[in-house]
Amino acid sequence: MRILTGKWSFYINGAFLSGMIALCLYLFQDTVGMNDGMIMISEYAGKTVEQTTEHKEIDLPPLDWQTGFLGGIFIGALAAALMSGNWKIRFFQEKESGIISRSLKTVLFGFSGGFLVMLGLQLAGDSFLGQWSGALQLSGGPWIFLVSCFAVACGVAILLEQRNAGGE
Amino acid sequence: MLEGNYRLAAAIFLGIFCGFLLVKSDLAWRKTCLNMFLLKDGRLIKTLLFSLGSGVALIYYLQYAEIITLHVRPGFFWPSLIGGIISGVGLALCCRVPITVIAALGAGRLYALWTLAGMLLAISFVDLISGPLSSSIYKWSTPLDAPQKADYFLNPANPALWVIGVSFISLLFIQFVFSGEPEE
Repeated sequence: MRILTGKWSFYINGAFLSGMIALCLYLFQDTVGMNDGMIMISEYAGKTVEQTTEHKEIDLPPLDWQTGFLGGIFIGALAAALMSGNWKIRFFQEKESGIISRSLKTVLFGFSGGFLVMLGLQLAGDSFLGQWSGALQLSGGPWIFLVSCFAVACGVAILLEQRNAGGE
Repeated sequence: MLEGNYRLAAAIFLGIFCGFLLVKSDLAWRKTCLNMFLLKDGRLIKTLLFSLGSGVALIYYLQYAEIITLHVRPGFFWPSLIGGIISGVGLALCCRVPITVIAALGAGRLYALWTLAGMLLAISFVDLISGPLSSSIYKWSTPLDAPQKADYFLNPANPALWVIGVSFISLLFIQFVFSGEPEE
């Protein structure tokens, strides 16, 4: 039962992650990234807003293999979090004092971060899982993307941390 | 290759496994991702390096045995570099990528909805500026070469051999550096 309730070792996680990508390539014969799934959800969200404002009947969400994969991730994460006792409703990303500060930080960091992550991914041409899959297949573009992304993320995170530490 | 409902069912099952894996590996949690970027926690770096080393070897042999064929989108130098820099800034702010946003929502982290909203808006934004993008950064460089295939694995010119070697040496180094942290 510990395999369901406890954390997994890094080599099990790493092996499963690469095995899953190889299995996706074998089963779907397509790029593994869920970019098309996210684009479908974005188009559906835009269409739903239009239908709501025009008081029209709302269509059902698109069900393709890529959106199915994303739905599966939701179910899998829900199950894993429940089994390991990590399922918690959280409205704020940090446990700071002051509801206004927490709310502002959650909205600002979450929204702008998500916007920038997806903007960069769209420019590079695939989602993060697709970039990782491309790197495993030794494609040049994903390597450039991943190296620059991790280097900049580490640099910006360290700068923000130092700034926070300096302000306290 | 799977088609129709079998394809959909396989995608849902693989998605469930992926969601499970994201929670079990701590990739779904903001705090562990932030600690990885701050170089305070080696767990996720080790997971990614092991995935890289084992994945490159696995895909090399599966392709060599003609079980799978490679599927990558064409890459361009400048869009990949600029995209990586922009994504890196975003990643430092929200510590999430598209699949981990979905996993975080599944695990009850409702604040990830803001990140998801930002991501969905970015797709519409790119759609709006696709014209100027196509006539600018995508024209600055020609498409990068397709992945090269070596004749045999131990060929020194085989990039897979180098990636596997560097990944596992880095993994050993990080294992040594972060040896004091508890590993479950």
